[in-house]
Amino acid sequence: MVDQPLWEQIGSSFVQHYYQMFDSDRSQLGSIYIDSSCLTWEGEPYQGKLAIVEKLTSLPFTKIAHSITAQDHQPTPDNCILSMVVGQLKADEDQIIGFHQSFILKNINDAWVCTNDMFRLAIHNFG
Amino acid sequence: MAEKQIWQKIGEGFIQEYYNQFDNTNRMEIANLYSPVACLTWEGSPVQGREAIAAKLVGLPFKRIKHIITEQDFQPTVDNCILIMAFGQLQADEDPPMAFHQVFMLKFQDNTWVCTNDVFRLGIHNIPV
Repeated sequence: MVDQPLWEQIGSSFVQHYYQMFDSDRSQLGSIYIDSSCLTWEGEPYQGKLAIVEKLTSLPFTKIAHSITAQDHQPTPDNCILSMVVGQLKADEDQIIGFHQSFILKNINDAWVCTNDMFRLAIHNFG
Repeated sequence: MAEKQIWQKIGEGFIQEYYNQFDNTNRMEIANLYSPVACLTWEGSPVQGREAIAAKLVGLPFKRIKHIITEQDFQPTVDNCILIMAFGQLQADEDPPMAFHQVFMLKFQDNTWVCTNDVFRLGIHNIPV
């Protein structure tokens, strides 16, 4: 796409990379988080790269596939990028289910890392 | 439950104020919750700056709207901002209820917490359990 704003390029590239890694080998995800990263996974908070990777690698499925339906990216005032993703996922032989995930990306030492990550399945709207 | 973290308290206060203004006023004052250079993405369309955001929200094509928030998550960011993700359902006029989710980023500016980033989408994959 011509002249896509920089934050969209970075955001969509991150999103692609993240889900590719998640779906193929979650143990590699440590590379995108830092020690001060926060994850909120289905309402539960996890603090720091190690705790986050431990949570993600211990999720109880063998196979996982994410499909992105929509993604939005915005620049933030502190030169970070906010990305919001809507999609569907399938874990093992379970039924396909919608999910929502938001990320904040920050450029640290020339690499874009994820400092904030919030994930929820699309089952919480009619509680 | 342990005492709430400060970012959760601030976030909850903002959410309450935002949806109260959205649902119960003509939304003319809602721009005051945003910073002058805030970004809104509304169902995939970007809106830049407080004035444009105000115009967008005031101009939405329904007479009545009600949001019900079912879940909300809060996190502090490394730049001392607050990230919020809200889930729920909304009902506009006589339309059937629809799922939505919305992400906000808040920053402390000029002695008050303002919204610098807002992303709204209807929940197209959401399951009415």
